[in-house]
Amino acid sequence: MLPSFRGGWPAAGIGLLLLFPLSSPDAFFLDVFTTGFLLAAFAASWDVVGGIAGQVTLGHALPFGAAAYACALLTSLAGWPLPLAVAAAILLAAAVGAGVGTLSAPLSGPFVALLTLALGEIAHEAAAGNTFFSGPGGYAWGGEGGIPVALPWQDAPPFASYYVALCFLCLASFAMLRFSRSGAGLILRAVAGSPITAQASGVPIARFKRLAFTVGSAFAGATGAGFAIHVGRATATDLSLELSFQAATFAAVGGRGTIVGPVVAALVLHVLFQGLSLPPAARVLLYALTLMVTLRFFPGGVVGTVREAAWRVRWKNGTGSFRRRGRGRPGEGGS
Amino acid sequence: MTALLSAEGITKSFGATRVIEGIALSIAPGEPVGLFGPNGSGKTTLVNILSGLLFPDAGTVRFEGKEITRLPIDARYRLGVARTFQIPHPYPALSVHEALRVALAADPGNRSAGEGARGDEEGAIEDLLSRTGLFNQRLVPCALLSQGCLRRLEFARAFACRPKLLILDEVFSALSALDEKELLDLLLAANRDDGTAFLLVSHNPPLLKSLCRRILVLEEGRIVRERRV
Repeated sequence: MLPSFRGGWPAAGIGLLLLFPLSSPDAFFLDVFTTGFLLAAFAASWDVVGGIAGQVTLGHALPFGAAAYACALLTSLAGWPLPLAVAAAILLAAAVGAGVGTLSAPLSGPFVALLTLALGEIAHEAAAGNTFFSGPGGYAWGGEGGIPVALPWQDAPPFASYYVALCFLCLASFAMLRFSRSGAGLILRAVAGSPITAQASGVPIARFKRLAFTVGSAFAGATGAGFAIHVGRATATDLSLELSFQAATFAAVGGRGTIVGPVVAALVLHVLFQGLSLPPAARVLLYALTLMVTLRFFPGGVVGTVREAAWRVRWKNGTGSFRRRGRGRPGEGGS
Repeated sequence: MTALLSAEGITKSFGATRVIEGIALSIAPGEPVGLFGPNGSGKTTLVNILSGLLFPDAGTVRFEGKEITRLPIDARYRLGVARTFQIPHPYPALSVHEALRVALAADPGNRSAGEGARGDEEGAIEDLLSRTGLFNQRLVPCALLSQGCLRRLEFARAFACRPKLLILDEVFSALSALDEKELLDLLLAANRDDGTAFLLVSHNPPLLKSLCRRILVLEEGRIVRERRV
């Protein structure tokens, strides 16, 4: 019998992750996992746009970085309380997503990827090449050094960040799964599958594409603000193309349109590659190799391929039944 | 009587090629109309303009007296103008049931009523599945449907908006005899019982004569004949 992704598997995984800090790991591994949780949430947010709605974006770092910078600027420069700054950062990311969604709505396929790539790179170059603000003590803020986040605490214990990030990942993933299985999620999967039929079925596809960008960007923004808080500053790397590619890679490896797949892939690959303490160039090479192998042998991603196999076994045994409200053919983007 | 759909002076070019020119037509409520013409005569372009998939370079389209020339296809669907495609473009990852849920979600009543309308939505889907003979395939992914079932799904999708006008582009081509007969019966029943008008595009004159009261003949982008049956 093939494993089901429903039921106890997620609970078992979360249980293991909850117990991990009790094994007294060193701070490095706690930090690797904490970053992994945030990257996993970011990959899931990419999947809302690129997987569920089929709008392959290469500029998903834009709302992530915009929220990180907003959080840093509002706390350090404007002196806002952190929760208020985070809320404003998420709203800003959602607004950025709505804007990108509006611009890309008339486009399709590679043109969406090109537009989002261009917008993301403009923001990245602007952030990397300019020192916008002069901070206290004559420091130049911005540029590659980024902008610090003013935190109301000092030196939080690593396990606290670990548990907060894990909790955020669970809540965000659950919310994105619920969204993908809602009526709006169903319509987005229709738009991804066949925009012309969706339109001929009365679906205003531009509005739904914008919705996907807005929702995905809001979650990316929440993750970006969380990341800025975790590392203590917003930097130009938060807007980089590499980050967007990473999210797209995690989704492709895990299974586009499944939410769960990108989360698992991001967590496993990040922890594995960081844990090996490889130089950055080697990590990029490993990501590229993983992506190529997945696309060649598991085009539906890991979760998609497992679902397809389970579906074939059930169908072959004559017990095949498609879930009533359920997902489509495994490996084809249903969640 | 006010025409259900009327078009005047419809002209469309692609680059330097003028595909249709100065087309005028009208369809009365409940009227079955055929559109016949050789390949390349502009039938699909005209159908795309009438259904809102393309906008004309010149001319106007009216539905129930209201100008809809620049209204996109999704808005026309919600008004009651539904179309089917010559080559169906199914949602590969969605089941037949889910595909119909998408079509019903376009109905503002269904979308805004939320859970309260759930029972009505299920009832409407079951009715569409039964009418089109797709009940046993309701949970099958669209990617796995046969050509005949895809055409049935096209009909079910079109009927989901309770259309006043159906625009059917080569919908009976490449079908088995059984599929063709059942879909013909379905179309005639909708016309007879619900007063649904239709514009049927076909290369098959006997079929058009058996179904339509009026046949328009399109040649080189112009309506050259109109024949009453």
